[in-house]
Parts: sequence; C-alpha cells; structure tokens
Amino acid sequence: MRKVKRIMALALSATLILVSLTGCGGSKANPEGSTAPKASDTLIYAQGAEPRGLDPALVDDGESAKVMSNIYEGLLKYNQDSTKVEPSLAKSWEISPDGLSYTFHLQEGVKFHDGTDFNAEAVKFNIDRQLPPQVTEDMAYAPFVYGSVKNVEVVDAKTVKINLTSPSTPLLNNLAMIMAAPIISPKALKDNNNNVNQAPVGTGPYKFVKWEKDQNIVLDRNEEYWGTKAITKNVIFKFIKDNSARVVALNNGEADIIDGIDSTVVKQITDAGNKIFQAPGMNINYMAYNTSKKPFNDSKVRAAVSQAINVPELVKSLYQGYSEPATSILPTFMEGYDKSIAQVAYDPTAAAKTLKEAGLTSIHMITYTNPRPYNAATGQSLAEAIQGYLSKVGVTVTIDSFDWTTYKQKLKAGDYDLAFYGWIGDNGDPDNFLYLLSVDDPTMNIALYKNDQFNGLIAKGLTTPAGSDRNAIYTQLEKIAAADAAWLPISHAQTLCAYKPNVENFYFHMTGITPFAGVAKK
Amino acid sequence: MLKYIIKRILMLIPVLIGVSIIVFLIMRVFSPDPAPIVLGQHATQQTVEAWRQANGLNDPIYLQYFHYLKGALTGDLGTSYYTKTSVTKEIFTRFPATIELALVAIVLASLFGIIIGVISAVKKNSIFDNAGMLLALVGVSMPIFWLGILLIILFSGVLHWLPSNGRIDPLLQPIRVTGFYLVDSLVTGNMDSFKDALQHIILPASALAMYSMAIITRMTRSSMLDTLQQDYIRTARAKGIDESRVIVRHALRNGLIPIITVIGLQLGSLLGGAVLTETVFSWPGIGAYTVACILKSDFPVVQGVVLLVATIFVLMNLLVDVIYGFLDPRIKYSKKEV
Repeated sequence: MRKVKRIMALALSATLILVSLTGCGGSKANPEGSTAPKASDTLIYAQGAEPRGLDPALVDDGESAKVMSNIYEGLLKYNQDSTKVEPSLAKSWEISPDGLSYTFHLQEGVKFHDGTDFNAEAVKFNIDRQLPPQVTEDMAYAPFVYGSVKNVEVVDAKTVKINLTSPSTPLLNNLAMIMAAPIISPKALKDNNNNVNQAPVGTGPYKFVKWEKDQNIVLDRNEEYWGTKAITKNVIFKFIKDNSARVVALNNGEADIIDGIDSTVVKQITDAGNKIFQAPGMNINYMAYNTSKKPFNDSKVRAAVSQAINVPELVKSLYQGYSEPATSILPTFMEGYDKSIAQVAYDPTAAAKTLKEAGLTSIHMITYTNPRPYNAATGQSLAEAIQGYLSKVGVTVTIDSFDWTTYKQKLKAGDYDLAFYGWIGDNGDPDNFLYLLSVDDPTMNIALYKNDQFNGLIAKGLTTPAGSDRNAIYTQLEKIAAADAAWLPISHAQTLCAYKPNVENFYFHMTGITPFAGVAKK
Repeated sequence: MLKYIIKRILMLIPVLIGVSIIVFLIMRVFSPDPAPIVLGQHATQQTVEAWRQANGLNDPIYLQYFHYLKGALTGDLGTSYYTKTSVTKEIFTRFPATIELALVAIVLASLFGIIIGVISAVKKNSIFDNAGMLLALVGVSMPIFWLGILLIILFSGVLHWLPSNGRIDPLLQPIRVTGFYLVDSLVTGNMDSFKDALQHIILPASALAMYSMAIITRMTRSSMLDTLQQDYIRTARAKGIDESRVIVRHALRNGLIPIITVIGLQLGSLLGGAVLTETVFSWPGIGAYTVACILKSDFPVVQGVVLLVATIFVLMNLLVDVIYGFLDPRIKYSKKEV
C-alpha cells in the first residue's frame, strides 16, 4: 500500500512539473528564449510540402523553386511584375547577327557562399554539366533550357560566350529560370559528387544553413552579397502539410507568410487581420477537341461546341474568383498577348442550330479526377459543368474519369472526342505555350492539331529576335488557334498566399518563385 | 529462455524475406511507372526509357529483386528515385521523430488506459464505469485527423497555449545526439529547447494516444472483471488483505497479460508511423513520408520502410512474449512447450 502511495505521489509531482514547464497556465506558445534571435529578424514562410532538393539541375517542383530562388542567381532574372528578363549575374549581353552566339559580360567581385569566385569558368562548368556527354537522364530541365546550346566558350574571366546549334530567342528567358539555369559553385558540385540537393551553394542574398527533413529549411543573410543586402536576417521555410493547420499557424503567429490556400479560408484569414496576396498564374487550363477524327475534325463543329459554353460564368462558379477566365492561351502578362484575341462568343441558340445541322447528339469526354495546379476544382467538376452546358444545346455527354497517371495513358491511346488538360509555363516565353499545338507527342498536343501554317509561324517565332515583330507572330498564332477552335481556353489559375500585416514588400512571382531579399518584417 | 529468444530471432529471417517479396511485387504490379513522375512535365518517351534503363527497371523482375536483396543484406537500401538521397539516410532522419511520438503516446495511453480500465472494472456499472466506457467508445470511433484539427483549433487557434505544428521552434533546435529532441535538449542542458519540444509534442501525442488508450481501457476492464471473479481473489479478501492491495497486487498483476499484449501491438503499429497524426500536426515522422513516397512510386523508399516496420513488429511481439515470462512465472519457454 505504501508503495502504491509512493508511486501515486511520484506521478502527481511529475504531472505538476510537466504542467508548470509547459506553461499550460496561458503563456505564449513561442516564448522568446534568451538564446533565440529577435523575431523581427526572422521571416517564417510556411509551404504545403517539402522541396524535392536544392540542386536546380536535378529538381522540377515548385516547392524547391521557392527556396532556391533565395540561394541562387542565374545570368538573368525576371522583372518583378512580368516575365521580361533583366540583368543579374550578367550585367549586359550581345547577340550575334545570325542569332547563333550570345556573349555575356559578367558582374565583377561576385563570390559564391563558399568563398570561391564567380567567373566565366563557373558559368561554363554549370552549363557543361547539363550538356551531352555529361548530362544525366534525371536532369529534367536540361534538354528544355539548354537544348539549343552547342557549347560554351570562356572568352576571359568576366566574359562568356554561349554558341547555339540553331537560333533560339527563348534562350534568354530560359537563362532567367530557377530550374537548370542558376549558377552553382563548381567547388560544391565537385565536393558533393555532382549533386548539391542537400548542400546548395550559390551567389544569392541568402546562404543555406540547414535542412531538417520534413520540418524546415533555414537560410541566413549573405553578408558578403554583391548587390543590395537582404533586409531580414533569417528566412525559415516550414513545411505544414495540412491546409487548415497552415492557416492556424499564420493566425497563431507561428508563420509570417503561408501559401497554397484556397478560397474557402480567405475570410477566416482576413478576419484575423491578415492579408491576402493574389499572384497571377503562368498557366492555362483548357479543353481540347480531338481534331484527328469525326466529328471534331471540322472546325465549325468545334466552334459550335465552344459557343455553347459560358466560360466566364463557369470559371466564376468553379473557382470562386481565384482564377482568371481565359480569352487566350497566353496569360495576359506575357509578350505576344493582345487584347484583340478572343475565342468564339457564348451563343447557345446559334450553337444549338449548328450542332443540329451537323447531327451531333452525343460526345465522349475523358477527364482526370484529381485537382491540378491549373485546375483546383478537379477535371471531373470541370467536365460535369461542361456536360451541363452541352445538355442545354441538345448534346448528351458521357464522361469517363481516371486518375492522373491512367489519364495520361488514355490520352496517348487517343480514344476520345473531348479531353481536359493544362500547362504550367516554364520560362515566360510565348513559344512555351503555343508550341504545344505544333508537336507530335499526343500527351502534349492532346488535340492532335496539325496545321502547317501554324507550325511555320512557330518555327519563325523561335528565330525572330525579341521585339514587336516577334510578338506579332504570337498574336497571329493565337488568332489562328482561336479561329480553328482546337482548344477552348478556360482559365489561368492564380496563386493565393496570406501574410501578416507587419510583413512588407512580399510578392509571389508568376513563375512560382518567392525572393525574400526585399521583404521586411516590422 | 535464451535459446527461445535466439530461435525467435532466427525465425525473423523467413518472415522478413516473405514481407520483402510481397512489398516488392505489390509496388511493381500496382504502382504507376515512376519515370514520368520523376521526370516531370517535359518527359519524352526517350528520356523515360533512358531513366528506366539507368534505374534497372527494364531488368527481369527476379533480377531486380535479387539486386535489391543483395543491397539490403549489406545495409544498402538504395537511393530514393525522387530526391536522389540514400534511403537509409532518409529513414533514419525521420525515425527518431516517430519513435519519440509513439513512446510519449503509448505512455499516456497506457497510464490513462489502465487507470480508467481498473476503476471501471472495480466500480462496475457505476457512473465511473459508464463515463470510462463512453470515453473509450469516443476514443475508438473518433477519426484522429478530426480530433487533431479540433485540438489545434482549440489549443493553438483560440487559446494560444500550444504550438500547432512541427517538433520544435527551428531556432531552438538542440544539438543532435540521439535525434530525440526531449532527450537531446536535456543531455545538452538546453532547457528552452526542452520546454519547446515538450509543448510541441503534447497535442500530437494526445491525439495519437486517444485510440490506443480506448483499446487499452476496454482490455483492462474486461481482463480485470475476469480476474476479480477468480477464487484466489475471494481467498485474498477472506484473508483480510487490504482491498487496494487485492486489486493492484492480486488482480491487476494477473490481469496484465492481455493488456501487455495489446500495449505491445499498439506500440508496434505506432512505430510504423501514424500517418494521419503526422500529416495534421506536420510531425516529421516516417508515416506521412511513406505515404507520400507510395504516391510518387518511390519504390526503394517504400521497400525500405516496410522492411524496417516489419522488423520492429516482429521484435515487439518477441518482447511482449518475453515480458509474459516475468509477469507470470507459470509461463516458461522450455523446448517442450514451444
């Protein structure tokens, strides 16, 4: 009995100690311990998943992009509000008249975080690593970014020349990308067996400190940065998988900025006094007609079906105001976009008449069951909404839905009248969107669209130097695509972020990067 | 006893080989091709083929298994397709978090489960019994992710008492000794970290403990009711022994055998990772990570984790059997009885 009493006394005192230690009496969740840095010096960004890695040549995901954009820099960078390119590690450049060689003049006095010099050799080392014969099959973006590159010449320590096999205007945009293009310290690559996924070393405003798997990545200000130094000292990327937990973390002060939120929690966030950032999206969510067979090998029938669908109304009800209804394939902020581009206007009466004449009464549609970055509402909901519009013009639609992987196989098989898809832009160049309608691969050109005039203009666009002449080519391409109605562009999805009112200058770039150097916490 | 333990450990080998074959086949038959997932939006037919070739996925399946087994025997579980990091490293950076959470949860669950179960049995059909059984019913039937979200909203969102996610404030991370933050912070004498780690573990451990506690409560109650009916309990009471001594020494000790079994099995499954709890609380453990890897068809990681979890489960069972011997001297593992 005495023993029991002793055990109970022990348990009781242990509980008391626990309670007093954890401060269940109402103290703050994150008291500032004496060893902790000041809160205003630390910016906490909560994202929904962990990055794949931090080697720009070896990853392809958006979660990695956010972190890498603070550690690395490329020769060029994007303008804050568009996808126009600006100088970064290259202060200026010249293009040869034949468009086959690009000479870059590099910034001077730039050092990598490991203290080694940034120079032309480093640029060559990074590009060579992603060209044959060195390129490996898991460098997802190497063929895209450097596909047109023949070789790289070091002219002198501060000048580098990139030679191409054929002229390629998108190269400049490619060099501003966060995938494949950033320049990594050659020493770090050599020390880490050509894979700096866990040990990134760049020239950017923040240095990598540590990565606690499935928890966070900590970055520290680069005090030797060659440009304007970052305002906030520490940046921490936290990974909070559950959407509602991420919102609680923001409202509870455990995060300063969160991303990946949806329209349902906006009110909850603004009610707590926090702010919403609505970033334009470099993507397109579309419906495609199978142009290779009846009935949609006839552009009149395609246009009539498009005419039966009220796109703005559909987008508003499906995406609650957080997707922009698409009038063109290109997002509005891109070069080549023109206000005059328009798809066939909504007119159900005219549509019904044409479809009746064509004798079209049933359509077989395939779609995907999961949400996609360009379609948060899932392909299924989108297909059902369109089924509703078409039933009003006397067309019966059968929908077959599949998970994403099976769906891609079904697309390859080509057994459908209508299908849904989307595209996430890579480099901000108009070719990156419009070339989809010119390729043979059925998992990219799912409309199986073939038009020699269109393909000719795509080829011309690649070699025409950037400027108004080139933009006119893409506007013309858009107009051909709209007239031929191979696709029905539906929406450009926006990215929603939320942040505390004391955070200043935060922005989420349309290419999916979050540079924090200019962000302050008051 | 020693012979018995050695024999049981040897029996691990066929079990683990069986498990590894099953997982290997399931992943290859039912999972989508990893190549397009790894290579992303720009994957072409050629790059997909080249990648499959480079990762040995075009070899005959028995050869693939043989390579895997050869690696596993030398402690090399391969490299994750998706992150290109060693699987052993990926697992062992996450495993301490899972163990720490499972241990705290099982301690909470056992402590409360046994206490409530004993009270319910002793005061059968009283208000305590009914309340205890209601709690147990709620515990087994309440979805853990929902309970988790409720706890987060109440204790973090409304009351601001406890943090909503993670294991520790990133700036208070203790120096790594064992990987268990509660232990590491104490060993290095960092009380700020200890306090912060403790605050972080309370909510996930409570949510996770709820289900196990419910099961332990019910098992304790029925086992105790059974034991309290025994003749020797009547004898003990007749001898005039104090009632609490009768309950703890005579009844509970004998009634513990099935309870220990349940606790052991519960701990085994908690060590396999608590997927929902880890997801809701962003707890960096092995469970949520494995699910993410299954969805990405990351074969080497899934195979590695399942092998590890199977080993733990078998060892847990062995441990439970050994504890039986200590609790009940009548159970002996002699040759004849096995």
